[in-house]
Amino acid sequence: MTRYKTLIALLTAALMFLIVKPVFAERLVTDLSHDKIAINSRFSGADLLLFGAIDRNILQEDGGHGVLSFGLDYDIIMVVSSAVKDFVVRKKEKMGMIWVNGANHVISNVPGYFIVGSTNPLSEILTPDLLKKHEIGLKYLKFKFKDNIPKKVKSDFKAGLIRNMKAKGLFMEVEKSVSIKDEILFRAKLHFPANMPVGKYNATVYLVRDGAVIARKTSSLLVDKEGIERTIYNFAHESSALYGLLAIVIAVFAGWAAGYISNKMS
Amino acid sequence: MQIYLPIAELSINLYLLLAMGVGVGFLSGMFGVGGGFLMTPLLIFVGIPPAVAVATEANQITASSVSGAAVHYRRGGIDFKMGFVLIIGGAGGSYVGAWIFTMLKASGQVDLMIALAYVLFLGLIGAMMFWESVKVIIRNYKGEAPTVKRRVRTWVDALPFKMRFRKSKQYISVILPLLIGALVGVLAAIMGVGGGFIMVPAMIYLLNMPTNVVIGTSLLQITFVTAIVTFLHSVNTQTVDIMLALILLVGAVIGAQVGARVGLKLRGEQLRILLAIMVLGVCAVMAYGLVTEPEELYSIARASADGGH
Repeated sequence: MTRYKTLIALLTAALMFLIVKPVFAERLVTDLSHDKIAINSRFSGADLLLFGAIDRNILQEDGGHGVLSFGLDYDIIMVVSSAVKDFVVRKKEKMGMIWVNGANHVISNVPGYFIVGSTNPLSEILTPDLLKKHEIGLKYLKFKFKDNIPKKVKSDFKAGLIRNMKAKGLFMEVEKSVSIKDEILFRAKLHFPANMPVGKYNATVYLVRDGAVIARKTSSLLVDKEGIERTIYNFAHESSALYGLLAIVIAVFAGWAAGYISNKMS
Repeated sequence: MQIYLPIAELSINLYLLLAMGVGVGFLSGMFGVGGGFLMTPLLIFVGIPPAVAVATEANQITASSVSGAAVHYRRGGIDFKMGFVLIIGGAGGSYVGAWIFTMLKASGQVDLMIALAYVLFLGLIGAMMFWESVKVIIRNYKGEAPTVKRRVRTWVDALPFKMRFRKSKQYISVILPLLIGALVGVLAAIMGVGGGFIMVPAMIYLLNMPTNVVIGTSLLQITFVTAIVTFLHSVNTQTVDIMLALILLVGAVIGAQVGARVGLKLRGEQLRILLAIMVLGVCAVMAYGLVTEPEELYSIARASADGGH
């Protein structure tokens, strides 16, 4: 009988825990210093601040009078990514004397920009299974190959793609880039290089405690070309024949004007 | 100061671009060459995508040759009939060149083709110029008079479809100028050069045109052919960056003024040997890039922008 009693007590405790659990929920409040990045002719990359607060709406043991400060070592992970696209990855091979592009494969589901920041190394915060589930980290990105090729080739091409994107500053994993103040406020500086793709970005903040994601919040960011940059780009791609003619007219006029000016000078 | 180029889609230092324009303009003013064969590799070295470098340089050459052509027109130094035939050939050639360019861009081999074309042509032209100027210098040293060869009848005279070119004082088959124009058109489309370095010797040695109409007529052809190339690349691959072309032009205009004055103080064969060394230098750098194992074997490109056409 005592065995049953213990079991019942345990079950009740577990049930109680499940029931009260929502009361323990923290709320995340996040914001970006800008919700839009405009690429204009002076654009050379952008720095943004991702910041927020952990709203601790926690049931406290003494009914809310004291402050429970132990056991609350929060970790923050932030993931900023842009829309996924298809990329062609090519491998250079030696052909006779020279190096030429040989095999190539199309990889889809690749974000044009992907950065992970965290308060501590990712492996210390979450288990690989959870990281994989939430697609946190470059190695957990779910790339898709169009061609059916051996696993080894796939992983080589995937690694090549990641190295290329890292070299362009478009893929980044920065440990300890998020700082938390007094277990309430957190902030992280985000760098966007000048070659960043345009479009909608998502910035997701994960609040982690004891190896579990306890809250998350996503805010969006819009990156677009603006002013003359936008005009020229759109014009070139939408009415390319007219753009070509205009390029010729501008060149002829500029060339003629330049010749006229240098004639006057000499 | 950084400037963002809308078509190349990258941010680059404005003063670097201006300096490149001035530098290449200086050299082209000094040597009396177009400078496309120097500017295009230079643009590639600083990180502009090769396809954008070639297409934009064609656009810039239109601008830099139009005022030269106008000057020669006022002096009566243009054979319009010959120019017209060369432009027709050039239009055909640039159409073929732009088509090859578009095909290779889709299959990811355009960078290789640009590099190979540069190594081949710069190597050939550089070696020929070097050899020519060494011969002249040796001859001057020995005090021999240059030998003037009488034009001999060759296979050129046997070709059909003869046409009279009054200004050039020629009665020749249109096939040869059409072919020369076409070759220059192909080169303009795939290398981003005006092609003066092929056109001028071809006009003198193959078409036997009098020197007073050679430069003007070749500038006329270059203006039109690079304009056609600009149009074709704009339509096919959207790789012409107007902003980049204008920045380079501003630099080039300033540089060419200074260069032309310096060039007057140097002797012809000295100039030519300097130019030959420079051409061979660019060729060597490009060849080195082809034969050394790249640090990163893998390269990436956006699938839609690359193979969608």
